[in-house]
Formats: sequence, C-alpha cells, structure tokens
Amino acid sequence: MRASYRWLKELCRFEADPGEVADRLTLAGLEVEGTKKYGELPGVVIAEVRGKRPHPSRDKLTLVTVFDGKVEAEVVCGAPNVPEPGKLVLLAQNGAKLPNGMVIAERNLGGVVSNGMLCGETELDIGSDDDGIVVLAERHELGMSAARALNLEDTVFEIGLTPNRPDCLGHLGLARELSALFGAPLVEPKLSTPTLSQGTVPAGTRPVALFPGAGQGASTPVGLTVADAVRCPRYAGAVIEGVSIKASPFWLRYRLHVLGLRAINNVVDITNLVLLEYGYPTHAFDLERLRGARIDVRTAKAQEKIVTLDGVERALHADDLLICDGEGPVAVAGVMGGEHSGVSSNTQKVFVETAYFDPRAVRRTSRRLGLHTDASHRFERGVDPRAVPAVLARVVSLIGELAGGSTPANGFEVYPQAFTPKEITLRVAAIERLLGAKIALEKAQGILTALGCDVTPSGQSLKVLAPTWRPDLTREEDLIEEVARVIGYDNLPTETPHVMASTNATPYTRFLRQLKERAAAAGLTEAVNLAFTSQKLLEATRSPLPAVRVANPISEGRDLMRSSLLPGLSQNLLRAQRHQVPSVSVFELARVFRPSGDLLPHESHKLAVVLWGARGSWLGDSAGFDFYDGKGVLEALIKPVTRRDFDAAIDATLAEEAPFFHPRRSARLTIDGRSVGALGELHPDVIESLELLGPVVYAELDVSTLFAVSRGEQAPHVRATPRFPASSRDIAIVVDEASEAGSVASVLREAGGALVEGVELFDLYRGGQLAAGKKSLAFRVTYRDPAATLTDQRVDEAHAKVSAEARTRFQADLRG
Amino acid sequence: MTDIVGEWEVVLERVRAAASAFGTAATEHELREQNARLSGPSGELTALMKRMKEVPGDKKRELGQRSNAVKQELERAFADALAALARKQREAELSGPAIDPSLPGRNVKLGRLHPITQVTYRLLDVFASLGFDVADGPEIDLHKHNFDMLGFPPDHPATDMQDSFFIAKEGSNEVDRGALLRTHTSTIQIREMLKRKPPLAVVAPGAVFRRDDDATHSPMFFQIEGFVVDEGVTFAQLKGVLTRFLRALFGEETPVKFRPSYFPFVEPGGEIDIYRNGRWMEVLGCGMIHPVVLENVGYDPQKVSGFAFGMGVDRMAMLLYGIDNIKQLYENDVRLLTQF
Repeated sequence: MRASYRWLKELCRFEADPGEVADRLTLAGLEVEGTKKYGELPGVVIAEVRGKRPHPSRDKLTLVTVFDGKVEAEVVCGAPNVPEPGKLVLLAQNGAKLPNGMVIAERNLGGVVSNGMLCGETELDIGSDDDGIVVLAERHELGMSAARALNLEDTVFEIGLTPNRPDCLGHLGLARELSALFGAPLVEPKLSTPTLSQGTVPAGTRPVALFPGAGQGASTPVGLTVADAVRCPRYAGAVIEGVSIKASPFWLRYRLHVLGLRAINNVVDITNLVLLEYGYPTHAFDLERLRGARIDVRTAKAQEKIVTLDGVERALHADDLLICDGEGPVAVAGVMGGEHSGVSSNTQKVFVETAYFDPRAVRRTSRRLGLHTDASHRFERGVDPRAVPAVLARVVSLIGELAGGSTPANGFEVYPQAFTPKEITLRVAAIERLLGAKIALEKAQGILTALGCDVTPSGQSLKVLAPTWRPDLTREEDLIEEVARVIGYDNLPTETPHVMASTNATPYTRFLRQLKERAAAAGLTEAVNLAFTSQKLLEATRSPLPAVRVANPISEGRDLMRSSLLPGLSQNLLRAQRHQVPSVSVFELARVFRPSGDLLPHESHKLAVVLWGARGSWLGDSAGFDFYDGKGVLEALIKPVTRRDFDAAIDATLAEEAPFFHPRRSARLTIDGRSVGALGELHPDVIESLELLGPVVYAELDVSTLFAVSRGEQAPHVRATPRFPASSRDIAIVVDEASEAGSVASVLREAGGALVEGVELFDLYRGGQLAAGKKSLAFRVTYRDPAATLTDQRVDEAHAKVSAEARTRFQADLRG
Repeated sequence: MTDIVGEWEVVLERVRAAASAFGTAATEHELREQNARLSGPSGELTALMKRMKEVPGDKKRELGQRSNAVKQELERAFADALAALARKQREAELSGPAIDPSLPGRNVKLGRLHPITQVTYRLLDVFASLGFDVADGPEIDLHKHNFDMLGFPPDHPATDMQDSFFIAKEGSNEVDRGALLRTHTSTIQIREMLKRKPPLAVVAPGAVFRRDDDATHSPMFFQIEGFVVDEGVTFAQLKGVLTRFLRALFGEETPVKFRPSYFPFVEPGGEIDIYRNGRWMEVLGCGMIHPVVLENVGYDPQKVSGFAFGMGVDRMAMLLYGIDNIKQLYENDVRLLTQF
C-alpha cells in the first residue's frame, strides 16, 4: 500500500514530519518499508510563452521564447504541442536537475542555443502523459517554482500491510491510525450528499432509497435484484446524469500518479481516488450500456462467460458472483468489470456501484480466475460493510464537483441484514495476564476509543463494540494487542524468566546431531540439498520408484520428492568434478520420501556418504578412495555414536534393493543381524549415466535402525586396563581368493582359546610366487593372560593350536 | 724377573697415554677402535693381564692393583670421550640445517558441517541453555497441522504469505489438498502440543517449503520454531527470552526492537529487528499463542498461556556469514562448504 504524507495530513491534524510518521507507523505494526519524495523540482518554474517560430534547420523542433517574470529566454522544444503565446508552461532553467537525473544546461541544438527546457509530465515525474509538454490551464505567478505553484511536494510511504488490516488499505484508515497514535483529530472527507446515519438503515430485500430527498419513495432508476445475499450482503447504487467525461484536474491526476495509478478520465479517476481514500472499491457503469436498465446480482450459470476490462474472455464457475444487466454478466463481483459496460468518452449517464461482497467468495473467484486486482485485494480482506452509503455519497459528490453530474443523486440499496458490531469484553486482569504489564483501564479505554471502538466501562472490564472496518477484532486478545500496539511493544515491560521446564525428551534429535558431528569429525563435509528431484535423475541413480509427486512444482525438474540422497549428492559430485576439485568426501543426513498408501507419505532419515578422488596428501598416496576408505569412515562414524560394531557382508539381495551399487564391490551392513545400510562402489553403468568420473564410493545408512540398535545413550561399562604384558605371534596363511579375511580371523581367534586377545590383519598379498586365485593373509595374534605374565611356552602352545587349525580348516599353506 | 715387572710398567704407562688421547677421536667408531686396541679381547691391556701368572708372587698384588686402577682410568676416559662425542653431535644437530616449515602439513582430513547446520546448532545451543527441548517432525504434513489448527481461516489471504506445495494423489496428478510440504515448522508446535501437556519449552528446527524462487528465497529453506506453554506465561517473558537469545547470538550490546505484526496463530503478534552493520534488520517473528490454537490442541486458554517464535535459519546464516544469494547455500559447492 502506497500512502501520501500530504493526503494523510489533510485527513488528520498531526504534527510530525514524514520520518516520524514512518517510524510511528512501523512501531504500531504498519511497517513502512520505504519512502520516496516527490515534487522536489529545483530550477523548474512557471513561465509564459511569449513567441514561437520554427527551427531554421530541424523541422520537428520549435524555438520558443519564454518569460519567467524577470527575463526572456529562447528554448528549443521538440514537443508537438507548443501553445500559443500567453499560455503557461513549466520551464526547467539552466542548472535544474530533473528526477530522472538529467541536468539542464545551455545546449546547442542544430545551430541554435537553447537556454532551458520545456517539460512534460513524465520528465518531471508528475504524471504519465508523455504526448508533449505540460500546458497549464490555470494562471500562476510567473517565475514561481513549479513545486509551490502546483503543490507538488509530497512523501510517499510504501507500507507492507499484513492481511489483517484491510482498513489501512485507504488513507482514511491510516489517518485514523495516526489519529490514535498521535492523539490528533481526524478530518473526514466532506460529502455534498448527506447520508442516512449508519445503523438506522432500513433492512430489507427490496431496494430502498438511500439518500434523503431525491428518489425517496419513487421507483428506482435501475431495476435491482440481489439473488445471493450470502455472497452479496449489501448492494447500493446511484445514477448520475449529465456527466461530461474529460481529463481530471491536475491535483487529482497528480495524487493518483504519486500513488502509482494512471489517470484515465474524471469518473474513473474519482472511483480510484475513493478506492485510495476509503480503501473501498466502487465501479462506474455507463448506464446506457446496461441493457434493460437493470442490475441482477447472482452466481454464474452453466457455461457462462464474460470478457473482462482487460479484454480477456473468462469462463465462469457456479460459485462466481456476477453483476448482470438485463441480458448477461457485466462484471465479476468484487474482481473486475466487463469490457463493454464501462465508462467511455461518450458516457453521459453513470451508474455507480458500491457493494459489500463476501471476502471468501471474492477470494475463491479471484484465485480461480488468476485475477488479483486492487478491488479483489480489498474485498477479500474485508471492507467496511457499514461504509457503503458514505462511500457512495463520496463518489457521487466528487462526480458532481468534477464531472458536472446531477446531484443529489438518487441512491438506493438492497441490504437485507444489517451488520451489527459484536460486543467484546476486555478484563483488566486479562491484560496483565497476557502482557505481564499493569495497564489502567482508562488507558485501554482511551486507546480503543481513539481506534474507533465504542467503549463502555463496566467494573474492572470494558464492553467494547469494535468498528466494522476492523474485521480482525473479534476477541479479547485482539483488543489487548491493540492496546499493546498503540503503547508500543518496546514500552512494555520485559522479564527474564527462570529456566524453563524441560523434560529432555529428545534423544532422537540428539542422535541426529551426534551423527552429523561425528561424520564431520571423520573427515566428511556436509551437503544440504533441496528435497526436490526429477524422474530422470531418480532413474539415472536407480533410486526407488515411484516417488512422491508434488502437484504444483516450481519447475519441471523439481516435481518429485527424493526417495534417496544419491540424486542430490551425485549432482554435488558432478559439480566438483567439473570444477577440477581433486577429491570429494561429503555426507548428507536428510529425509527421503516414499508413497505409503496413506495421506501422508512415508518419511525416513538417511545418512549418505560419497567418497571420490585421490585420498592422499602431498607425500604420495595418490591412490583413489575405495570400499575400505568407506568402511573406515563408517567405522569412525557409527562406532562412537552407537557404541556398536557393524558387520559388512556380500548380500545378493542388495542387487535388487540397491541396484546402484557395483554387484561385486558392495556389502550390506548389519548390527545384530538388522540391516543398517549398505556400502560400496557405485555401479559403473550408474556412473556412466550420471556422466561422473569413477570409481565412486557410496554408502546409505538407515538412521532410525541405527538409532534402534544404538547403545550410545547407555553409559559404557569400563573394563580394567590389563596389568600383565601381552605377547604376539604372526601367522601368514595362503587361502583361496574367495575366502573372507573376517572369517579366517574369527577361526584363528576361536582356535587360540581364552588367551587370544586380538587377531589383526596386517598384510594382504597377491601374485609373486602365489598361484593364481590365491592370496596371502598375514595376521598378528595377540595373547594375554589377564591374571599372570605369559611364559613363551604357553604362548607357543596356544599359537601351535592356531596354526594347526588354520592348516586344517583352510587347507592353507602357512608362510613365514 | 725384573723384566716382566719393567715391561708391565711400560705397558701400563703406554695404555694410560693412549687413553689420554681418546679425546682426539673424531667419531664414535674411531673411539671404540682405540678403546678396543687397549681393552678389547685382543687389546694391549687384556693381553698384559693374561700374563699375570708370569709375575712373581710378591709383585702380583701390587701390579694387580695398579693394573685395575689403569683399567678403571681407561673406562672412565672412554666414557668421558663417548659423552663428549655425543654432546658434540647433539650440538652439531642443534646448530645444523633447519627444517622447511613452509612445506604443507600432512593431511588430517577435516570435515565440516554445512553452514545451515552450524547456525542451527548455534541457535539450538542457546535455546538449550535456556531449558528448551529439541523436537522433530515430518516435512510433509497434514493441511490441518500446517494451517487449520493454527487458526488460518479458510480462503483467507493469510495463506498467501505461505504459498504451498501440495502432494499429488498417488498414481495421478490430482492435487491432494489434505497433505502438503510444510510451509513452516509451526506444524511441530501443533504435533508436540497434541502429544504432550504443559509445561512445555520446545524448539524445532527443520526444512520448510514455499513456492518462491529468487535471490533471497529458495523453495526449500530452514526454520527454527520455538514455543513455551505454561501457566502465567506473558508477553513480558517472550520479550525477555528472545532478547536474551538474540544477544547471546549477536552480542550483548545488540540493540533489539519489538514491533507488532500479524501471524494468524499468535495474538498479540510481533516481529523483532536487530541493529547490525548500520541498519535495522528483521530477524524473527513471534507472539503470544492464539487462544484458538490452544483450544485446538485441547488446552484451556484460561489456564495456560504461551508464546511462540520462528526464524529463518538461512537468513541468519546469510547475515552471520555475509552470503548474499540464498542459492549458494544449496549448491553444495565443496569450494564454498570447506570455508566454514
């Protein structure tokens, strides 16, 4: 909402400069997001045309002699409308700086020196007419600054209004707010047509005369029926005859201009002015284009269509409320008028509509049609139903003043059920209970009264009738906010409470955080990807399908919810590879989504890891990351958080469940036999279709299962540190390629009996003298007796058992 | 007889002389060789001692004692010379060529949390110190949790502030208005209040979704929602807690300004601006929980009251780290991420 400081000052007698007004409004919840000054036009003055002659060499230019009250100057002008001598124009003298940044100086134009420039509206930012220079209709003192002569100086506020304050969508509402904030009197616009006082309007479903005098008791000039009193609780109109359509006076055009509206003609400009004054949309029809001279307010019939003012043909819905003449729709109620019924330059009889439409109905129609207008914006937020007669009277008055129409007009309305404000009780105790501040009842009463409430004290409470322009005031808390708002939040007490009650019931969120922090400690950098993805990427990554679909995606490639973290991470990797980043180790912990058959899809937290590229540092180890780097990272991550070890094993079912893995270089990870995820290299076909450089190590862990098996929340039970020394023996075993080191190790451990403390692989060797399909595994077996120092003899005996078992179980050759 | 005694004297004297020259050895090896020539298995002194039986009985004792004294002298001289050599070597080492400290360090792989996560944890830590629990909830939620129970009127422009992504019915493109990507973490407020009874002090971080996409809006972004419900919770306490929070985050001297605003689920509602880098900046929305919301979750608004607040984590991260385009937060460019 744009608001003019100058206009606000006409409506409220406050004493404050624009900066103060902006601050006060902001602190009262009407956030002034910007201010712009208008009409500062130094060096632009009123001048009189004294003579004009053609330019000697340029046929589109005119040489104009102007007089600013002191001296004459010759100015070269390119406008087609240079007036005859005696007329007044706006002269930008040498040195003047125009709002568009242009600085006027002596210039040579085709061999003629021009001293100054005659200005048009757009150059001065005082209007939108760019057909030529401004020629003033009225007389002004020559040489007077244009800003002063034309009353141009103004400051326009850009106010970010919240949707609960429709009353402030007009200057009168803002002025009322300022009146309460500054304690300054409000000056309501004067009406030349008296209105019936609000609240005494006779209710009924038949049209009744609205204004005393003309039309009272007589038949209305337009037949009116309202078939839908729910969508249209109040409809009023008036006919003005003998109107002459022409341009509005400058002050009106300028006012609309600074507030961002284009001047059209006097009648349309008046409806726009009242829109910005009362915040109330009205519509002017050309009465002679209303077929059958009647208005019917009803919902749309099947297949009904209308061509709106913007020239678009629109199909209507049975829920849409229409304004119809004798033959069909002439406006979409509260949204936009029709193309053929509006005011044109030939219009002589105007029918002005002022109605209250149901906010929800207007909103549904406006959304359905994709038509958001100044009118729908206000109707859907709720205009003041009781302002109808005043608004109509204001339009009629202005038309009488500015378009020469017949006044008083013969207004009439259908208003079956009068709006009555609801009574709200405000208890002084409730104020203190909610705000933690003691506020005197009289203070609250003063504030609410200034905001337009009808307040009656009753003991320790106030009986409050909220004004109908404030649909947001419906309960006690709303009134408390008004009191707090006008006092100013910063002026209310602040109390630092003691520590909050916490049940500390959040082990799962703590677990998530521990996982992330451990992952970073294990050398992984965290990625956060958008949850949206595309069918193409899900297919390329062989992610689970079908995925959850967004019905109204923001763009084509973001129409599905990720079912895996691989789509996002693969794109992060691709980006890094394209930027020649030598290695990538990232993780992401986020939710993935799958259809569940229910209203809400199935969501689960996954933790995924990607390792790619050179592992090493500057001192060699340029080899790429492989499966075992991934396993190492997961060990560093899972063990400290869950205090559990996982097993990694080849699992044929992974091929179906996680087909994005290399079938021979991937493993299922389990704890207590429960799958907690999988780790492996990505399938080469997947790498190829993602246009990645491989190999890529990927792991995806199921966070809720990890949480379920975690012992991280239990205090660890500490074992005593050993008091006696350990002794170790090495053993190298040649086995078939298919044998897993892990199972060999557990055989050794078992064979050695109670003395074995640990079995650790320290070398893996292939080739050389070994036969094809064989590998040598070297283990270090550590022996320890917790109760005594081991003798060599006892160690040798135990190790002999280990060797013997290895030989028989694996038909293994023992080396070294 | 005198022969052997005289010869003995001569050898002992020679050995003593040789021992006194130990200091001239340049290396440990040289020193050990010198020593071996005297007291090694085939050394001069060793050889002499083997001839003790040739010494006449009355001289045996004296020569034996003198030989042992020479031997001890020899050992001492050797030990001293060895220590001197070691000291010389240490001194050489301490004054020799220095290392090149400018060579790069050997990699210890460092991971980093995403800036959004870092800011989230920073915010949560402040709230944890004030006694708040951390809660979590689904990203796709029911319309009633996201709007209806929070007091958004149906067909009301307030929902325009939060343009939603809806979920398509399974197997079709038909919109299911019952479920949507949550537009704010206030859904967790509803879920937690339905699940638990006051007193409650909860913060809930998470991803939220709105149909916006430009330099300052991402269709997915992060929020932290928090709320307190108990008997006697007031607006004054809201101001106290949030002022403490903002000052803990941005510095104790940070100017904080409260001004009214509108969210359907609070009344009175407000926004907080902080003064930072020469201007006022909006950082969070807040208010007293609307009685309708309390009623909707089965609380009695005449008995308990509460306040709620919410803030954009992305916005805080952009503010704290000087990031000007929100998209940078979601590109996951490792060259950016490794700066945090």
